[in-house]
Amino acid sequence: MSVMLSLTGVGFDYPGLTVIDGLDLEVSKGELLVCVGPSGCGKSTLLALLGGHSAPTRGNVVRHGQSRTIYQDGGLFPWLTVRENIEGGLPRSTAPAQRSEKVTEWLEITRLGEFANTYPHQLSGGMRQRCELARALAAETDILLLDEPFSALDYQTRTRMRRELVATLAERPRTVVFVTHDIEEAVQLGDRIVVLGSRPASVRRVLEVPIARPRQPASPGVAEAEQVIMDELGLS
Amino acid sequence: MTRFLFPVVTGLLMLMAWWSLFELGAFPVGTVPHPWEVAIAFRDEIASGRLIADTIASLYRVAWGFIGATLFAVPLGLVVGRSSATRGALMPWINFFRSLSPIAWIPFAIIWFGIGDPPAIFIIFIATFFQITLATAAAAGSVPKIYYRVAEDMEMSSTAKLYEITLPAIMPQLVTAFRVAIGVAWMVVVAAEMIAVRSGLGFLIVDARNGLRMDLVVCGMITIGAIGIGLDLLFARLAKVPSVRWGFER
Repeated sequence: MSVMLSLTGVGFDYPGLTVIDGLDLEVSKGELLVCVGPSGCGKSTLLALLGGHSAPTRGNVVRHGQSRTIYQDGGLFPWLTVRENIEGGLPRSTAPAQRSEKVTEWLEITRLGEFANTYPHQLSGGMRQRCELARALAAETDILLLDEPFSALDYQTRTRMRRELVATLAERPRTVVFVTHDIEEAVQLGDRIVVLGSRPASVRRVLEVPIARPRQPASPGVAEAEQVIMDELGLS
Repeated sequence: MTRFLFPVVTGLLMLMAWWSLFELGAFPVGTVPHPWEVAIAFRDEIASGRLIADTIASLYRVAWGFIGATLFAVPLGLVVGRSSATRGALMPWINFFRSLSPIAWIPFAIIWFGIGDPPAIFIIFIATFFQITLATAAAAGSVPKIYYRVAEDMEMSSTAKLYEITLPAIMPQLVTAFRVAIGVAWMVVVAAEMIAVRSGLGFLIVDARNGLRMDLVVCGMITIGAIGIGLDLLFARLAKVPSVRWGFER
């Protein structure tokens, strides 16, 4: 399987602070890789490096294809309606006739049709994240980077959003890197989980998750995988 | 309903207080006119067409001064807000000039621009330029970085980022800045029209004072205040534009 993202010996420093050090990682095409680690360990910096928004201080980052990033909150443009936000995400080369069609399709997929003409601040947190998801997926880029996208949502909405993300990706596969500090979320979503240590971030363990989807807390193997991560993060 | 009723009621109460105090002889003779004298002055000024002509003259100067200031201040504010080097170099001087009263520029206005509209327009320009620059710089400097990251993902050019991210993102703060600045511009018009012009509401007041026509002075003051309210309401409407309203509702 071809490698879409690769980090070799990557390090990233702020003045007087090493955030990432000696990070090696590869992400294969179509894979859903989850990076889990404690808050402040450099997960968001890692995504900024993968998305090309920051350059590494050391090492190499190679990205094959375009990427879109979905953030925890506030990534939507508040001066645009839901429809306009999603349309803004379409590739600039999309023909005018196709633009409206594609936006309508994504509004339907994300069940935002009746909110097409509302503004982001008028939506609930879950709807805003669905809109972010629609905008990012409508772009039809090869790579999707998600920076704790559901962490600001309540438990029920978060659970539903995870399920919707998995279902959407099953129909429209992408290479995904999802960072979170939520162990339960990591196990429910990931094909593979990378456990990152405290700052400076480096890989402590890589865990394959060969558990069938949809994954429930009681699904065989879920609790065991969560325990392994907790042990690795010293939370047991 | 109360939005209109309350100000009308308070206005009537103030008018009654003014009238009563005048009738009770609370004001020394010649210092405050009777409300009825002011009403007659209004009637005469409107009938002669002078009040309308003076109002148009003042609005003309305010409009050009304000538009000129906006055209120069917004681009400068964007550069100052988005470039730390420019901010470091210019911000102290913007604050320096902002602190100077527009009145202090009057001698220069006369020497540089002579008589007529230009010196008055220049004073209004000076009164609003630094304010709008500062507000634009503050707004442009506080646009969340996340918007630019999304824009980079969308492969927006620098020009597209300016028109599609920075300008819409700062629009609510700009509208507030414009609202404050137009109020200042209208306030300064009286001072600006005290120099080298023979028209406008400011000149009307100065001319009336020289003729000891306090009824006309009050007539000019009421007109300036009423138009000030109108301008504020006009700019307040900008905040209701859907693509700007988000900044006031969040």
